[in-house]
Amino acid sequence: MSSNSRSGSFLARFSRQRPKHISVFNGQDFKKAVMAGHAWLEQHREAINALNVFPVPDGDTGTNMSLTMRAATKEIADSNDTAAFVIAERLSRGALMGARGNSGVILSQILRGISQSLEQKTTFNATDFANALQVAAKLAYRAVIKPVEGTILTVIRESAEAAQQSAARGSDMAALLGDTVAAARAAVARTPDLLPTLKQAGVVDAGGQGLTTILEGMWRYTRGESVQLSHREQTEEHAEIRRGNVEIEEEFGYEVVFLLHGENLDMESIRDTITSMGGVSTVVAGDSKLLKVHTHTPRPGQILDYGVGLGSLQDINIENLQEQSLRYAAEGARERGASASANGATMTTGGGTGAAVATPPARPASERVVGGVGTVAVAAGEGWVKVFESLGVAAIVPGGQTMNPSTQELLAAVEACPATKVILLPNNGNVILSARQVPELTSKEVVVIPSDSLTQGVSALLAYNFEAAFEVNRQAMEEAIKRVHTAEITRAVRTVQLDGINVTEGDVIGLVNGRLVTAGTDLDTVVHDALSRMQTEQYEIVTVYYGADVTGQAANDMASRIKEWFPEQEIEVIHGGQPYYAYIISAE
Amino acid sequence: MAVRILVDSTADIPPQRARELGIEVAPLTVEFGDESFRDGVDLDGPGFYRRLANSPKTPTTSTPPPALFEERYRKLVGEGATGILAMHIGSALSATYSVSRTAADEVTAATGVPIEVIDSKQVSAGFGLPAEIVAEEARNGASLAQVKAHAEQLLDRIHLVAVLDTLTYLQRGGRIGKSSALLGALLNIKPLLEVKEGEVLPLDKPRTRARAQGRIGEIIGALGPLEAVAIAQSDDAVGQQLQQIVRGFWSGAIETFSLGPVVGTHAGPGAGAVVAITRE
Repeated sequence: MSSNSRSGSFLARFSRQRPKHISVFNGQDFKKAVMAGHAWLEQHREAINALNVFPVPDGDTGTNMSLTMRAATKEIADSNDTAAFVIAERLSRGALMGARGNSGVILSQILRGISQSLEQKTTFNATDFANALQVAAKLAYRAVIKPVEGTILTVIRESAEAAQQSAARGSDMAALLGDTVAAARAAVARTPDLLPTLKQAGVVDAGGQGLTTILEGMWRYTRGESVQLSHREQTEEHAEIRRGNVEIEEEFGYEVVFLLHGENLDMESIRDTITSMGGVSTVVAGDSKLLKVHTHTPRPGQILDYGVGLGSLQDINIENLQEQSLRYAAEGARERGASASANGATMTTGGGTGAAVATPPARPASERVVGGVGTVAVAAGEGWVKVFESLGVAAIVPGGQTMNPSTQELLAAVEACPATKVILLPNNGNVILSARQVPELTSKEVVVIPSDSLTQGVSALLAYNFEAAFEVNRQAMEEAIKRVHTAEITRAVRTVQLDGINVTEGDVIGLVNGRLVTAGTDLDTVVHDALSRMQTEQYEIVTVYYGADVTGQAANDMASRIKEWFPEQEIEVIHGGQPYYAYIISAE
Repeated sequence: MAVRILVDSTADIPPQRARELGIEVAPLTVEFGDESFRDGVDLDGPGFYRRLANSPKTPTTSTPPPALFEERYRKLVGEGATGILAMHIGSALSATYSVSRTAADEVTAATGVPIEVIDSKQVSAGFGLPAEIVAEEARNGASLAQVKAHAEQLLDRIHLVAVLDTLTYLQRGGRIGKSSALLGALLNIKPLLEVKEGEVLPLDKPRTRARAQGRIGEIIGALGPLEAVAIAQSDDAVGQQLQQIVRGFWSGAIETFSLGPVVGTHAGPGAGAVVAITRE
């Protein structure tokens, strides 16, 4: 799906208002400013999309940030609330759920920081907003495991610093936003100096540019030059979730999850006390004022009583696990219907069951529900969907290279998964961060395996052992994704020189583990180069997943050539059906 | 006279060794369409796999009737057995155990000769190897109680790890427990399985034969000190590969079992297993 078709649901109109010198923002002022920031971003989305470093069609930063802002502003568009903190909180929640791609997640953390800082403020002035940007920068850095300079992080940090200085000079909101935008632009301009790949590709950082654009839109609003978007019908792409099979392990009692607000809360001693009360697999996380408690117990009342003694409880969620697993088991049994005799059947097949043996049941145990663990994977391409289904995933969230699913879509799939423990496979480098937001948003126990490609996702699932403990599986899967190497063959969407490789738009290009390694006009040569760079000869098995635009015959011919180049390796050909990428080839 | 051992044919004990050890083998049946073969009598392992490769018909397997077991028990009593220990394929995988028990009760009631019937919760060499060990002891004069107790001890310490070329046959026969869906990949995998407590369970999903066999070595090699080791092979090539693997951690004798038609129907071509009994 091209990003253009999505912008069609919005109509932009320019409206000139009188410049206003605003010293104090209430909720409605803030709302209008942010809506203006979003509208300005929508206007520049394609320009931001064009700032991709790699000449490959992948999750576009402009689109991801626009969709994240769209989810955020949707929460405030119809609100007449005049309290600034209410608007900020709604924005923050909307962005958190709608976050797509790494830039979207960082943007959502920026809005969250603003919301945290404006807590209880019905209005705010320039100093308040400068402080809010400081908190925003802090949370943005915290969102990524290894912060990199020359990105949106640098831009928010330097903008926030400029805002502080501007506020100290006594600026009003318009002047403060003006200074902030100037600093943001300067920071963006410096990103190629901080990040060599940007310089090589001759672009500035797209996420930083996106943030600057939003701030510009807000500034323009204070100057009376805002662009407003009129929302037509909001056609949010909802994740279509496919249900597969799931295992439910034998659990007992109730799962209890709640938030505990209090003072001087001691995590260690609370965890110990709950454990001594019979809480199993107890997790207590947070800080001295707010804790999330997650435990399993036969007597939830006792643990809630204890919590009430420590502070106030919120978001209490109690689930009867036994009933749940019985219900799923019953549903599974119903779905299995007559074929349920497979388990515990005797080897006596000479009689009436002869026919059943001759025709294998479509998916013998796939509908069987026998454990507490379900897996959710992100995948695009009908072949890939089948591969993941055959590996037993409970749900597939459509998306990947060109369409990054939002946190909300991932969360919905996790919630819909009939299991209390869920393994989430993002299968794309630009989805990992949104996936990492999910565990905090659900009462389920969610583990995110940081698979940055579909092939890593496959390896992770192959390493999954239904008999092993959750934690053991997590480790095994994380190890497994490191063992697979991936070559991707696609066509360059623009001309660029990168890592010493000259790429002309339309060239066949080869990437190995996400890095551009070769480009040329001849497909065979590029595939051969990429596989050589991958040191394919050192691995045992090569799997060729061919894309939507490649015929089975062409893929088999390619496989024969690969066999000639690498006679020692086993070659397997699978229909992936992925868009844009002619071949995704793994070696392990 | 002595105590005698009876097994069903899924123990995959080579006929020559069964004769030497005085083990009575009761055959299950494998059918290709209308053609019926007694396991290991009318059709041996290699013959079965040739037929499997060439026959358009999918084979099926069946348990013999109680009458066959009755006849075999009476034969052993006629040869002077003072007690009989019967060992059978796991009852979760086959009805053989319960059929044999029914027959045993009849024969004991009629002849007064005690018959103990064990559900091995194993398959192939997984109970064939313990049967050979106690048969030797029975020949040396061990009592029925002694051989039964020892057989049960050995079965407690047995480990069977198998590699299949494909999961198709096992799924077709429904002989894999929960989670077979997790193995049923479109990808070509060489499933690694164990037989534990009577169930066939997936252990690992390696993509290549070499890695699968390597994993067998790792798993069995990590069990600690061993008392006896056997391999079960569908063909000589598989047997040689498994021998090599076993030599990585075991220098003693390696008993070789040949996967017969009934087990082969469910394991498919190219299957192999390593069986090990750990020391007490």
